[in-house]
Amino acid sequence: MSLRMIDKGSMAAFVSNLLQAYEVVGPRAKDSQYAFGRITDYDQLRLDYNTTILPPKKYLLPQEEVLFTFQTEGMSAAPVFDTRPRVIFGVHTCDIHALHLLDAVFATGQRDEHYLERRAATLIVGIECLTPCDEHSFCKSMGTLSASEGFDLHLTDLGDRYAVEVGTPAGEALLARYAANHGAGESEVGLLDKMLSEKWPRFSYRLDFDGNELPALMAVSYKNPIWKELEGRCLACGSCNLVCPTCYCFDVQDRVSMDRKTGERIRVWDSCQLAEFARVGSGENFRKTRAERQRHRFFRKGKYIPDMHGELGCVGCGRCARACLVDITPVGVWNALHKAHTA
Amino acid sequence: MIGDLMKPKVAFFDFTSCEGCQLTVVDSLQTHVDLLDAVEIVQFREAMTEKGEDYAIAFVEGSISRASDEARLRRIREQAAIVVALGACAHLGGINAIRNAQPLDDVRKYVYGDKADWYETYPARPISAVVKVDAVIPGCPIDRDEFIGVVKALLLGKKPPLPDYPVCVECKRKENVCVFHKGGFCLGPVIRAGCGAICPTCGDGCEGCRGLIPNPNQDSMSDVLVKYGLTVADMLARWTMFGTYQQMEAGS
Ligand code: SF4
Ligand code: SF4
Ligand code: SF4
Ligand code: SF4
Ligand code: SF4
Repeated sequence: MSLRMIDKGSMAAFVSNLLQAYEVVGPRAKDSQYAFGRITDYDQLRLDYNTTILPPKKYLLPQEEVLFTFQTEGMSAAPVFDTRPRVIFGVHTCDIHALHLLDAVFATGQRDEHYLERRAATLIVGIECLTPCDEHSFCKSMGTLSASEGFDLHLTDLGDRYAVEVGTPAGEALLARYAANHGAGESEVGLLDKMLSEKWPRFSYRLDFDGNELPALMAVSYKNPIWKELEGRCLACGSCNLVCPTCYCFDVQDRVSMDRKTGERIRVWDSCQLAEFARVGSGENFRKTRAERQRHRFFRKGKYIPDMHGELGCVGCGRCARACLVDITPVGVWNALHKAHTA
Repeated sequence: MIGDLMKPKVAFFDFTSCEGCQLTVVDSLQTHVDLLDAVEIVQFREAMTEKGEDYAIAFVEGSISRASDEARLRRIREQAAIVVALGACAHLGGINAIRNAQPLDDVRKYVYGDKADWYETYPARPISAVVKVDAVIPGCPIDRDEFIGVVKALLLGKKPPLPDYPVCVECKRKENVCVFHKGGFCLGPVIRAGCGAICPTCGDGCEGCRGLIPNPNQDSMSDVLVKYGLTVADMLARWTMFGTYQQMEAGS
């Protein structure tokens, strides 16, 4: 849509105006790292962050959420929806792509109303990465270093101002209502183009092949010996899944009151790397070994999800690589598979 | 089988322990008074003087560290329909078992000095080494919410759920900065969750008080501890804080 400009001096007012109508969440410092959190003051917002421990997914699919409450007498239940208006501020392009994928996942087949209700009440303000977040990112290989959709507004830091790309009518209304802004002049458009073209060489392709070849590569990698090797190293700790912006598996549990009269059904994040994840009702566990579970994980990202939704299941954010204490990384695994296949 | 299903009689017992888990129970009762409507406590030395012997559920704190403990524990087992190990000492042997790796006579002299001969002792063991245990509430000390959860499950006639996944899962859900990334060390990847990752949340590494998950990859965990800077001796010492009994059993 259109391109607008916000002077940096007007940003604090923009955020405090938003606070009157929305819950605003954005990147905040957490020890030496960053985490998305509630913003109550513009100074808390760290738009210069590199990456966050957990992705902004947690505002659409929370770590734990109540799906419905129930009464055992009469077996009645009432669904719980979270529809508070919220702005997620400062989302990087890899995470924009991940949310775009989750939107498709939760709207396909049995529609997930809990996710979709939240999503409908959420606005996304993205921010362009001008330098790689750290040595683990491989967004360029996965085609997520820029985003043309999936945001309502998208900022690019031009020094003393932000260029704001308007992505949706809702974004346009937000800007008109809450931010002092002006149209982009010729020199500002030129500056934006320069920033965007100059950023590209700062990022490196970290896969030895194009990310779009992943489904084909995975198709010939089922029997690769690498899965056996990962068996020895992987701790089955689940961290790689839990920090991933595209993982969406959850476990459903009931919490019942002491008098057993009332309760709530909740869902919590789960992980396919955990030993008991694939145990089914009959007692059988169909992915007993860490090797099988690792293989499953990389097949999900590289083949099953793209086969199902037409988008890669990994956006190259590098969070799993940062979290893994035994250095199991998508770049390492996929390059090894590629090498084995082309050797 | 557990008598009055609506209001079962429960009792608390202690063996070698610091009584911290029982204190946590007393604490839980204060915040969950509804629990007192759901069960009848007939014996609890830590909290009351009356003593009933007709209990259906026995919560046992402490490890078994001398021959005379065994007969008492067996009597409890005979009476109770359900025996629950309460806390790390009863569940794992725990801290008390650290001494198992040292000559017992030295340990006894160190603790009791010239009165060493007055006291009987032998290597500390979890209560499951002596009697069948129906349920476990892990931790040093136990987690209040988990205690309540176990009681609820027992009242529903269910096997109390114990997380079979590691502390990292709860730690990541809380979005903690990993202790390893702050220069510390943590056993969280192979230790059973359920405590809400309380130690990493407070900035300390997990010391393993809830015991290992099923099928832990201990070799790889040891490699991680050394890779992040522990000496081999310190790495081995980490495993024995709460896990001496298990390590020695695995090695024997
Ligand atoms: S983070 Fe690493 S060690 Fe943990 S489950 Fe994932 S691959 Fe395995
Ligand atoms: S698999 Fe790893 S790099 Fe890919 S999206 Fe998930 S966390 Fe990011
Ligand atoms: S992975 Fe790429 S797009 Fe994502 S935060 Fe890092 S640099 Fe930005
Ligand atoms: S601090 Fe410990 S429990 Fe938390 S993620 Fe790191 S290793 Fe796992
Ligand atoms: S984090 Fe580890 S040591 Fe701390 S309470 Fe939990 S299991 Fe015990």
